[in-house]
Amino acid sequence: MAKTFHLEIIATDRIFFQGDVEHLVITAIDGLIGILAGHEPLVTSLPTGELKYMVDGVWKYAAISEGFIQVTPDSAVILADSCELPEEIDIKRAQEARERAQEMLRQKQSLKEYYQTQAALNRAMNRLKVSQKHFK
Amino acid sequence: MPNMREIRERIASIQQILKITNAMYLMSSSKLKKARKSLEATEPYFYKLQETIDSVLEHTPHTRQKYFDRRKDIPPEKRKKGYIVITGDKGLCGSYNHNIMKYTEQELEKAENPENCCLFVMGQVGRLYFQRRMKNDHMASVDSEFLYTTQNPTLYRAREIADMVIGKFESGELDEVYLIYTDMVNSSQQETRTLRLLPFERKRLVQAADGTLKSLPKASFMPSPEEVMGYLIPQYAKGIIYGAMVEAFCCEQQSRMTAMDSATNSAKDMIKELSLMYNRARQAAITQEITEVVSGANSLDED
Repeated sequence: MAKTFHLEIIATDRIFFQGDVEHLVITAIDGLIGILAGHEPLVTSLPTGELKYMVDGVWKYAAISEGFIQVTPDSAVILADSCELPEEIDIKRAQEARERAQEMLRQKQSLKEYYQTQAALNRAMNRLKVSQKHFK
Repeated sequence: MPNMREIRERIASIQQILKITNAMYLMSSSKLKKARKSLEATEPYFYKLQETIDSVLEHTPHTRQKYFDRRKDIPPEKRKKGYIVITGDKGLCGSYNHNIMKYTEQELEKAENPENCCLFVMGQVGRLYFQRRMKNDHMASVDSEFLYTTQNPTLYRAREIADMVIGKFESGELDEVYLIYTDMVNSSQQETRTLRLLPFERKRLVQAADGTLKSLPKASFMPSPEEVMGYLIPQYAKGIIYGAMVEAFCCEQQSRMTAMDSATNSAKDMIKELSLMYNRARQAAITQEITEVVSGANSLDED
């Protein structure tokens, strides 16, 4: 049995996960970071992406959009806008969101609108990617 | 003794109002159920966010980040303050809107120079009120492009508001940003609150017993503290605005429900009283008629 640490993943609409995990891998701004128990204190922000954590030797995957993580040697807290398991993702909704965003990008937009649409497109693409990868 | 017909008309009109208040009571109670549910789902995030940010800041090395910049070189009377005020979209909810508007006015009075204050009002009721008021006595300006509803708060709306406010802070249009909303202490108690959004406060610097600053272990930041804070603070602002929107919406429904419930009850009481009065008037009229008939018959007998 590997050493574990306490992980909390809290999304704006629910507490996504609370419990002890052995290993956590997150996508930070500049790449993947693996976290084991006893990690040095760390704060970093998480862009829209994928994360995985190991409970009892089994990897669990989730799609996450925009948040940040605080790590201390015996615990980690992730606060995110939304967090979903691959099987919870509404593929149809994500596809619609992607098409809507792509359509918007073809139009002339202000810089601010452009960034917002791009972020929306990112979220949709990420959802689709995670659900296709881990849920068939 | 009032006229019988008058009383009957009054009873009818009160019954009409009763129907309306009762329907509004039922509607707001079902909306409240939904709002409560979303509040319960959001509350852990809202509180954890504040808690985590506090503990992150304790471990943050001193940075020259733009969001921490208190702009001390600007004298107090020239500082431009922005207030995001969350009010309701509709009236008829007791003292809910009134409390927020009064509280906001008190806050504005506290400011050194009200002319440099800018209000960003969410919700129809508050916006109309402040626009009218500010036109008359030139206190603060109300941003007329800031049009957001408070019904069914979404993360998307919170994101837009946060982006707008942060943009204004960065460009120097605002030097301080506050958020005024109603907090749900428990189901029967509400409290109007102010939260400071920007510049970011480094509060609770931990002081040791001898008054010197205790140095806390510094956490590492990937890739750099400045960059992480640049992501973290907009994220924090968005989360806080969203949480406040959810709290305020729940409070609005709660106070509308209470107000409509008491309106229904007092309408019922009034109907009870009026129907008693009506019955008395009717009885009196009948008695009078009998007396008239009897006395008429008696006078006939005498002849």
